[in-house]
Amino acid sequence: MTLELIDKEDTFEVVRDQIGAILATESANQRSLATAAGKDPELWKLRVYLERANPWEAFRDMVDTSPIVNVWFDAASYPMGHGNTVERQKSEARYNIDVYAYGQSADDGATGHIPGDEAAARSLARAIRLARNILMAAENTYLQLPRGTVWRRWPQSISTFQPQLGEQPVENIIAGRITLEVQFSEFSPQVEGDEIELISIDVNRARDGMLVAEADYEFPL
Amino acid sequence: MTGLRALAESDLGGILEDSLTGFGWPITVTNPAGTSAELTGFSDDISQVIDPDTGQAVSGRLASVAVRIGHLTDNGLSIPRGVADSTSKPWVVSFDDVNGNAHTFKVAESNPDRALGLVVCILEAYTP
Repeated sequence: MTLELIDKEDTFEVVRDQIGAILATESANQRSLATAAGKDPELWKLRVYLERANPWEAFRDMVDTSPIVNVWFDAASYPMGHGNTVERQKSEARYNIDVYAYGQSADDGATGHIPGDEAAARSLARAIRLARNILMAAENTYLQLPRGTVWRRWPQSISTFQPQLGEQPVENIIAGRITLEVQFSEFSPQVEGDEIELISIDVNRARDGMLVAEADYEFPL
Repeated sequence: MTGLRALAESDLGGILEDSLTGFGWPITVTNPAGTSAELTGFSDDISQVIDPDTGQAVSGRLASVAVRIGHLTDNGLSIPRGVADSTSKPWVVSFDDVNGNAHTFKVAESNPDRALGLVVCILEAYTP
């Protein structure tokens, strides 16, 4: 029986939360940098959520049309060649970073108009670009976690989904997905061994009995 | 015009444009050249679920109007259509909802029924 209460978060949870936190804080930072550079900070805005499953209704009233990002844990595999059977196993986890972008047709102020479908696609590309650059920035090589937690993070794929076929909705909404693979170690409760023997070693010089070295070894190690 | 088809077109007008005892509703249609016409027809603006293929739905709207082709042409307009070319103005449709809030849309696609003289326009949001 495991005597220890399992009261911790596994690394796959920590990493998921950290991906969301990095995207949120870096997006806010990018907005500040954009303002300082005299650019429209709204173009750097991401609304970041974790593991959300309710339908998105944020675009319906068109109050805030900035892209929505939903980070969710998808799957993990544990290659048997890495780690050990007792304490630590290497995990290769896959996180989906889903991006939803909105675009609205509008008068261009001249003789034409801005098509909403193209605007949605461009907004999506901008949000994916921002998220990928944030996650792959040098500062986030190890996702800002204590060194040794994350071995590697790597964008496995980026895909965009075609707009819904059939009835054209009022809103032009398009989604995309960054699949991010993160490799890390997962740990499990361990047995604390009892000390059963102390081995003491003294090394004396035969000529005069002088103590040259001594060492104590607890067993088990 | 005579015959059942002409009668059906006439009945269509009676159904679409009856704003006293029917569902007829004032609708403004503007073509890319800026010519507008005040018409009476059916308008819909209801909720719709959008499936962006992520496995998670987005709540949206579905808006459409149905107007009589004959009244479009009577007002100097042709059959509306979706305009993809960003260098041109789109066909624009506007109408109030039942609570008096004004809404403006771009015609995303149109489905004309030339047998009956009816065109249904599927709409998307538009900022004029």
